[in-house]
Formats: sequence, structure tokens, C-alpha cells
Amino acid sequence: MLEQLLIFTRGGLILWTCKELGNALKGSPIDTLIRSCLLEERSGAASYNYDAPGAAYTLKWTFHNELGLVFVAVYQRILHLLYVDELLAMVKREFSEIYDPKRMNYNDFDETFRQLRKEAEARAEELKKSKQLDRPVSDRKKQGQVKKGGFEGGNKKKSEANDGGDGDTGKSYKLENGHSNGNHVNIEGSRAVVANGKENASSNVGAFDVSKLQKLKSKGGKKTNAVVSKGSKVDVDPKKKVTKKNRVWDDSPQDSKLDFTDPVENGNENIEVVATDHGESMMDKEEIISSDSEAEDEEVGKESKPDTKKKGWFSSMFQSIAGKANLEKSDLEPALKALKDRLMTKNVAEEIAEKLCESVAASLEGKKLASFTRISSTVQAAMEEALVRILTPRRSIDILRDVHAAKEQRKPYVVVFVGVNGVGKSTNLAKVAYWLLQHKISVMMAACDTFRSGAVEQLRTHARRLQIPIFEKGYEKDPAIVAKEAIQEATRNGSDVVLVDTAGRMQDNEPLMRALSKLIYLNNPDLVLFVGEALVGNDAVDQLSKFNQKLADLSTSPSPRLIDGILLTKFDTIDDKVGAALSMVYISGAPVMFVGCGQSYTDLKKLNVKSIVKTLLK
Amino acid sequence: MEGMEQWRNEAKQWLQQGIEYAHQIPPTQLYAAAAVLLLTTLFFLIIRLFKRTKSSTIVLTGLTGSGKTVLFYQLRDGSSHQGTVTSMEPNEGTFILHSESSKKGKIKPVHLVDVPGHSRLRPKLDEFLPQAAGIVFVVDALEFLPNLRGVSEYLYDILTKASVVKRKVPVLICCNKADKVTAHSKEFIRKQLEKEIDKLRVSRSGISEADVANEFTLGIPGEAFSFSHCSNKVTIAESSGLTGEISQVEQFIREHVRP
Repeated sequence: MLEQLLIFTRGGLILWTCKELGNALKGSPIDTLIRSCLLEERSGAASYNYDAPGAAYTLKWTFHNELGLVFVAVYQRILHLLYVDELLAMVKREFSEIYDPKRMNYNDFDETFRQLRKEAEARAEELKKSKQLDRPVSDRKKQGQVKKGGFEGGNKKKSEANDGGDGDTGKSYKLENGHSNGNHVNIEGSRAVVANGKENASSNVGAFDVSKLQKLKSKGGKKTNAVVSKGSKVDVDPKKKVTKKNRVWDDSPQDSKLDFTDPVENGNENIEVVATDHGESMMDKEEIISSDSEAEDEEVGKESKPDTKKKGWFSSMFQSIAGKANLEKSDLEPALKALKDRLMTKNVAEEIAEKLCESVAASLEGKKLASFTRISSTVQAAMEEALVRILTPRRSIDILRDVHAAKEQRKPYVVVFVGVNGVGKSTNLAKVAYWLLQHKISVMMAACDTFRSGAVEQLRTHARRLQIPIFEKGYEKDPAIVAKEAIQEATRNGSDVVLVDTAGRMQDNEPLMRALSKLIYLNNPDLVLFVGEALVGNDAVDQLSKFNQKLADLSTSPSPRLIDGILLTKFDTIDDKVGAALSMVYISGAPVMFVGCGQSYTDLKKLNVKSIVKTLLK
Repeated sequence: MEGMEQWRNEAKQWLQQGIEYAHQIPPTQLYAAAAVLLLTTLFFLIIRLFKRTKSSTIVLTGLTGSGKTVLFYQLRDGSSHQGTVTSMEPNEGTFILHSESSKKGKIKPVHLVDVPGHSRLRPKLDEFLPQAAGIVFVVDALEFLPNLRGVSEYLYDILTKASVVKRKVPVLICCNKADKVTAHSKEFIRKQLEKEIDKLRVSRSGISEADVANEFTLGIPGEAFSFSHCSNKVTIAESSGLTGEISQVEQFIREHVRP
């Protein structure tokens, strides 16, 4: 049974709710849906799962883009109601006929809704019965086709409803009611052509992804080993040993100790090193954006693009002047495909580009084309808005303010740098320390990379050049303990910020991820910064989702810490292939706090959303 | 070279023909045409001048969940109908305030804009600020302390925008949800906001020369910040969107939109 069905405008006013289903919803599922799904450009997904104490709901929605309305249905997750999509489509159709922008009260819609619901439920009942009828008949080979046809028919119906049913679906349903079940199912089966199984599967994957992301963020992270996302191998490697074993990369036996820490430090003290001052960090410099960019964009949009054919150009010009009635999905297809390809050439992960295009399509379907605009420019404008929305941070990324707040509470502000091997954690840690020093904040480094040879020396050199204290315990120590002691030391000597460097690790290396999770759980840092390089391609999606998943699963606390921010490195090596930033922000929801663009201390800057969006859509 | 010569000769001929034609028109017609042209340009200039001095847009802004959409519909229709959800798009309307619809006489309609407060939709505010004659900053008086930092940062950002400072746009801080028992008083809210903005001033002034976001600094350096230091007028009021107690907001709107 449906819990609730709401109709509201995009501006936020609720136009109609079903008064029969008077159950008050626990928690605030609608607001959460809007904030975590629709505003995050995931509106192409099939459904959304919401967990509140005492209830688990699934929400499905559909838009009417022309009138700016949203229709949302809420039901209990354990009931797998099949008729919800069709019901939403029918409600959309009926309501848009009686909708009037000036009218606020739609009490007469109650009757209509009651009838629609009865119809939808009746149809669902019939479908169930038809499936049951098929089962005893399926023994015979000939009738085997009927059963398959029945299921495919059911699939097709669902996918048709997903497309926002028109008169066609209405007709097919009337047909069903007229004929006997067996006959009709046969007809359906033969017609069921394109098993939109792919579409269903992808929408299921999408739903699962979103639901997984929600699970990560909700309390009570259960161990979800049934991972649907592509290319994941779950290494369940039960490690009973407590001590850390040496990593063996090839077959040669390693018997000598790896710890080459210098027990004597005399040699270094004699060298007098002056604190480095390289001038202002680029974080504080204004970004010089070309001022003619805005005019350029509009001009490029209006001029005809070189890749449209002559025939298509003429018809699209005519359409643009006349202003076509309503945008259909088939019209949006070519423009969206071109946009998706362009995004992929800019190094956006394929999965992300796909989801983004679906979301933009969902928001444009059914909208009226304004006159003198082409479809491609409408799509481009919608995509630009969506990109700006994704890249704009959800919360404030003012680190200096956070540091001051922590200072007042007399605690050091702890930042942990995590990431895979070789992305530039130690280098960028030094850059962040330099920037903080410029703002008169006292910094301390903690060398918790106890595996890689030279990591501690590297940090020691940076600390000497910047003249800041460093806490280190050499190699082959437990990083979590080292970090804990570093924080205690910082509290004692009054440092404002502690920057913790960790060893690089691959996202599917279970024991290392467990160690990282332990470090984060034990020390509860204020900021978990994921360091990712801008050169990464589709792997960015995998890295971030696995890191988040492992941090959630392997943490023993009820509310696990996830990645709070992203540091994008090696930005100077990519010219305009800036898509990695978009992939990372989309998949994790964390804002990009810094961008590393070089190897000296001043090469650290903030992300300029407008210039990235411009580069992505050029 | 010969081509150029030919060109020049042709141009001269055309010019002479044009002048002859002009001489043929009786002078009165010419003067009439010129006068009409002059008058229309003057007319347009005057209209534009008038329009610029009288912008009657009031912008409703604040954090998400503070009650802006409810206030919008209260001002427009006198009731918030069946409730609201998080807005995804701005609500705009030009209308006469509901409470004044019974008054007789010519009342100028007010252009009211309710901008979504969700942080992802912040850039939308910049579209409406240049035409704003007044800003109503809605604060949730019930859940004030948990959101204190967010509220003060947003308020600080608005008070330091160039379009607000240069045009001295008046700001009304509206403490919404005042009908609830545990809502804070407006004096408490004012003091807390002033303290927070003071701290923000200190932390932002370190980067303010190059921080693209904040174009101006607030207040007098060295003194504790108070809203009276702002060059534009900042007042504080209470309201309750759900019960309809919005008289102070309406007063503010009427003050700044000449009827």
C-alpha cells in the first residue's frame, strides 16, 4: 500500500497530498529526497531509499518540466509495489489537465486519484494472476514462450511507464482488460522487442548506487558484500595475525630488516637552514578569468556548429524559429549524446557522464522550447546549470574559520591525507602547511607513513625548510598509534593544526584499508582529505567509492567518518581535460578544497567553479 | 589603383545624388522628422532614468529550512496552503500584499522574490540582488544555535557584496518561527550574530585582499562589530510564518517600496 503521494511545485509549495492515506511520514523523506538526490543531479535514477528510525521507505518520482511540477510516491520498502510507476504517470497526466498556476486548492483531485489508484491496483492484481496462471502451463515447450512473453510483457510495461506513458500505454492496458489473459500475454510476448533489460539493469544499478551512498551516510553501516558496482573484487582476506606483515611484492624472500632510520641525527643539525619564503601562496591570489568568456559562450551557442549536417541544420533552424511544442526524449538524444562525448573527451568518467546526461534529460523532458533557441543550446544551458550546481560546495570550505573554531576549544585541528600511491600526498601536505603558515597558524606535521622508505626523511626536509615541528617515530610502527601520540604532542605544545601524512594504498587492498579505517576511527580527525590526481580517468570513480565504502564498513563506530574533502593534484599537467574534478565531486559529494598545480610551495589554489564548467563545455 | 579611382568616383556621384535628393525635400518635413527622432530618444532616456530610481524588488533569502517559502505565500495569499518542501527554484511574483488587498486606493504592487536557501543554489541569489530594493534575511529562531555558523557566514557574505554595499540596500533580519515556545528572542539572536560576524571579520580579513568572494569588509576595525556600523540600514524583527504574524515584515516592505 502506498504511504503517501505528493504533488508539489519546483518552488516548494505542496499542491496536493492524498488525504485518504493519512499516515504521517516518519522523518522527512521528501526534503531528504530533494537535498540528496534531485539537487545532486541524480534525478535520472529510478528510485530512492530513505531510512528513518522506525521506517524504511522507497520513493519514486516523476517531473512535469513544462509546468514545473514534481510528483512523488512514498511506500514501504518491503512491499515491492509494481504499479507505482504507472500510477505516477497517470496522475501526472490527469493533474496537468486541471492544473492552473493561480489555483492553490485541488480538493476535487481526490476523486480522480481514488479511481486511478483502484485502476492501478486492479491492474497489478491481474498481472499477478496472469503470472500465476502461466506457471502450471509452462511445462509444455510451446507454452514456454507464453511465460517468457508474460515476463517480458511485464518488463516492457514497466519500461514504457518509465518513459512517461502516453496514450499508447493506455491503449495496451485496455486491450488487456478486454481479452483473456493467456491470449493477450502471447500478443504482448511477440511484441516485446527491445528487452529494455539493459535499461532496467542500469536503472537498478543506479538505484543501488544511490541507496548504497545513502547507506554509507546513514547510521548503522552494515556490511554489504553484495556489491553491484562494476569491476569490484571483494577480497575477504581473514587476517588473524595482529602484527603487520611485510608486504612481499615479488617472490624473492625478504629477510633483512627494512628499517633504515638513522639513529644518529648529528649530521643534520649543523646545517643552518633559513626558513623558506617563496612569496604569497596562489591560494590567496585572485584568479584572473578572461572577461570576454561570457560573450564568447553565447555567440558560440547561437552560431551553427560545424558538425551538424546541412539537412539537420535547416530543420533545426525552422524549429528554433517556430518553437517546437514539447521536447521529447528522442529530440534530446542526439544533443545529449554529443554532450556526453564531449564530456568524455575532457576526461570525465563514463559512468558519471551517463548519469549526468540522464539527469539533465529528466529535467528537460516535456518542456516547451522557447522560440529562437535551438535544442542544443537549451541542453547546453541545462547542463551548465547542473554542472555549476554539482561543483558548488554543499557546505562552507573555509578552513581558516574551522581552525579558529578549534583553537577556541583549545584542540588542534587534525587533517588526515589519504589516497592511493603516488598522487602527491606528501608534496601537497607541505604546500598546505606553507599556506597555513602564511596565515599565522602554527602547524605540526605527523609522519604516519611508516612503510615507504624515505617518507619520513621527506617530511623531515620539508619541516626543516618551513621551520615547523614534526612528530615521527621512524618506520615499521603502527600509524594509528603514531597519529594519536602526535595529536597529544600538539595539544601539549599548542600547535593549531596537525597534518597527518599516511601511506598510499590501493582501494581494494583489504588489510591496508582496515589499517586506515582504524587510524581514522581512533583519532577522529576534523578533516579527512582525499588526495586524487587530475590525471586519473575512470578509476577516480572506483577509488572514491571504494574508499568511502571501506571507511564505512570497517569502522566500528555507529557513525563512520567518510571523506570530507578532495585535494586535486597535478592540475598543471592537464591542459583542459579537467573532468576528473567533476567525477570525484559527483561520486563522493565532497567539495574540492584545494588544487595543487605545481611542485613548489606556492602552487596551491582554490577551485574556480565557473572556469572549470567553461572548460568542460568548450 | 584604377579600381580605387573608380570606387572614389562612384562614391562621389552617390553623395551628390543624395544631397540633391535631400535638397528636394521641403525643409519642414526634414525638421519634423528630426524633431520626432529627438523627442523619442529623450522620452526613452527619461523612462530609463525613472525606472532605475524606482526598483521595487524585495528579496527573501536565508538558510534552507528557515521558512522563506511559507512567508512568501503568507504575504501573497494570507495562508501557506498545504505546506512546503525544500525549494528547488525561486518563487517570484508581483502582487499587492494580501493584508492590503482590502484597502482602497491605488497601491503599487510589490515584486517579491523567494530565493532557495540550499547551498547548492546560492548562485541564484546573485541574479536578483542587483535589482533589490530591500532584503529580508529569514533566520530560524528555533534551530538557531546549531546553525549559527552557517547563518552568520551567509549574512556576512550578503552584507559584503558590492551590489549591497554600494547601493546601501536595507536589510531586515527576520527571526521566523517566533510562535514556538523555545524560539530565541530577537535581542539574543542579534547579539549572537554580531559576535559571530566579529569573529568572521577577523578570520576573513587575513585573506580579504585577495578573496574573490568578499569584496568589502564590515564594520570599524578595532571595535566589536555591531549592525549599526553597516553603511546600509540593518534592522531586526520577529515573525511567524505559520500563524500569519508578519506585520513587521509587511511594514518593512511598505517602507521601502513607495506606494
